[in-house]
Amino acid sequence: MSNLLEVEGLDVRFAGLHALRDVSLTLAPGQIMAVIGPNGAGKTTLFNAISGYVRPSSGQVRLRGHDVARLSPHAIAEHGIRRTFQNGGLFPALTVLENVLTGLHAQTEGSLVDVILGRSRALASERAMIAKARDLLSLMQMEHMADTRAGDLSGGQQRIVEIVRTVASDPPVLLLDEPAVGLSPLARDQMMDIINRMAGEKGVGILLIEHAVELVMAGADRIMVMAAGQHIAEGTPAEIREDRAVLEAYLGHA
Amino acid sequence: MMPTQTQLLLRTLLFWAVPLLLLALPLVTNAYVQFIANSIVIFALVALGFNFVIGNLGQLAFANTALFGLGAYGSAILVNSFGLPWIVSIPLAGVAGAAGGFLASAAALRGIRLYYLAIITLAFGELMRWLYVHGKSVTGGTDGMGLPAQSLFGFSLTDDRAKFYIFLVVAVLLFKATLNILRSRVGRSVMAVRENEVATASLGIPTARIIVFAFMWSGFVVGCAGALFALHTSYVFPESFGMLHLIVSFAMVLVGGLGSVIGAVLGAAALTILPEYLRSFPGMEELFFGLIVIAVLLALPDGLASLLRKLSPIFVERYYRE
Repeated sequence: MSNLLEVEGLDVRFAGLHALRDVSLTLAPGQIMAVIGPNGAGKTTLFNAISGYVRPSSGQVRLRGHDVARLSPHAIAEHGIRRTFQNGGLFPALTVLENVLTGLHAQTEGSLVDVILGRSRALASERAMIAKARDLLSLMQMEHMADTRAGDLSGGQQRIVEIVRTVASDPPVLLLDEPAVGLSPLARDQMMDIINRMAGEKGVGILLIEHAVELVMAGADRIMVMAAGQHIAEGTPAEIREDRAVLEAYLGHA
Repeated sequence: MMPTQTQLLLRTLLFWAVPLLLLALPLVTNAYVQFIANSIVIFALVALGFNFVIGNLGQLAFANTALFGLGAYGSAILVNSFGLPWIVSIPLAGVAGAAGGFLASAAALRGIRLYYLAIITLAFGELMRWLYVHGKSVTGGTDGMGLPAQSLFGFSLTDDRAKFYIFLVVAVLLFKATLNILRSRVGRSVMAVRENEVATASLGIPTARIIVFAFMWSGFVVGCAGALFALHTSYVFPESFGMLHLIVSFAMVLVGGLGSVIGAVLGAAALTILPEYLRSFPGMEELFFGLIVIAVLLALPDGLASLLRKLSPIFVERYYRE
């Protein structure tokens, strides 16, 4: 099976609002697909529906052939679809290392009783996870910040820690909701570099919501365009640049 | 500043050295001071359990006093009506407290939060008190129920000095277990729910189960403390588990430091000792007590524990261990 993630006919209705209409997409391992569209197009709703925060009224979300739609958010995350949040999802009062460790929760072994009694089974697994978290931080040159409160980091550093935390468990699918928003041009490039490496080196399939058009054109393999809750176009960056429907969605009907 | 490896070792030594030194306390106390010391141990557990839900989980749940009462009455009933030795009633009182915590968590799980959760759990506490008052045949009603003299392995547990040793052992075990939890994936998840529940679920953490667990652990600790309290006063009656007790334990958590384990000890000690000193101002005790609590909270919004953290990084709480 070459498709990692298949979304088919996803429909979301809120009271009086048809937020997502019959949206389908497929994502292959190592592929970066950008989701673009004007405000209110349904991009974040699409992410919420895939990751279980919004219950789709119809449609399927298949991860390696298994339907995960309508599972709870934590169950979907445990299956391997992990996401970040537009407004940042870090735990500010916890340290950088503790934040990354929360991303390894499901991988950490030892029953609740082992934990309460401080048995070596739980402690050994904890130590292994701490070592892994430190390795991940050093890949991002952030190991010296392991014991800093996450809330004390700069905005760019927070975004990077959130991504490290999200990929710590090696999820096959990653949904990134505007990871570069509010970043300096330099930090933006770094962020895009990190995203490319995850796709290229680890084969993670990535869905990326991003407003910065130059970033999307340079970094994404494919682009999907949404407007008014619908999938209106999809193609390579070059194809999308020439697409009339896209121009209309952004500029209005001429 | 985070503690270094040497400082972490020092901290572990300190954790065990303090209770070991306290074993000598009954040698130097008189009956009055010993009674106060016993109260501090019990209230440190009450604050520890309360803190787990309001400080670590970050839920405004005020069922704490109800769970404390559940433990105290549970213990007294097990001893009086079922003839169980008091010592055996401690873990069972903990289980009763955990069951009460489970009920309280049901409200939190239904999406009831903040002020709504606060008022529902307050009502739960008053309901429990109503049960103690009206369940006369079992609880003795407003007269309460006494606990017969207890002994352990032939040693009498009527003297406060003897009680102190038992209380201390139970407290050390429960503090150690709570630290084990906080420094594990479970504790980090509890705090992650406080920080951002939506993001917590996105990491594959079953937030509902974490919330239920936090309420139950809190109830277990406080329930055990209730059993200690039953022996401590050798008498339980409804007025011990009213609004005043709740407010004082809430103040203990805040004065010690919200979310801080060592703060639970400091807050309990400070607010148990303080009224004893205020006895020399009859008629003004409550006023001074209130003013002092307000002054401490204004000067130290993060509680007495923040003073210790400033003193040495040994007291900075980390939620993992290598």
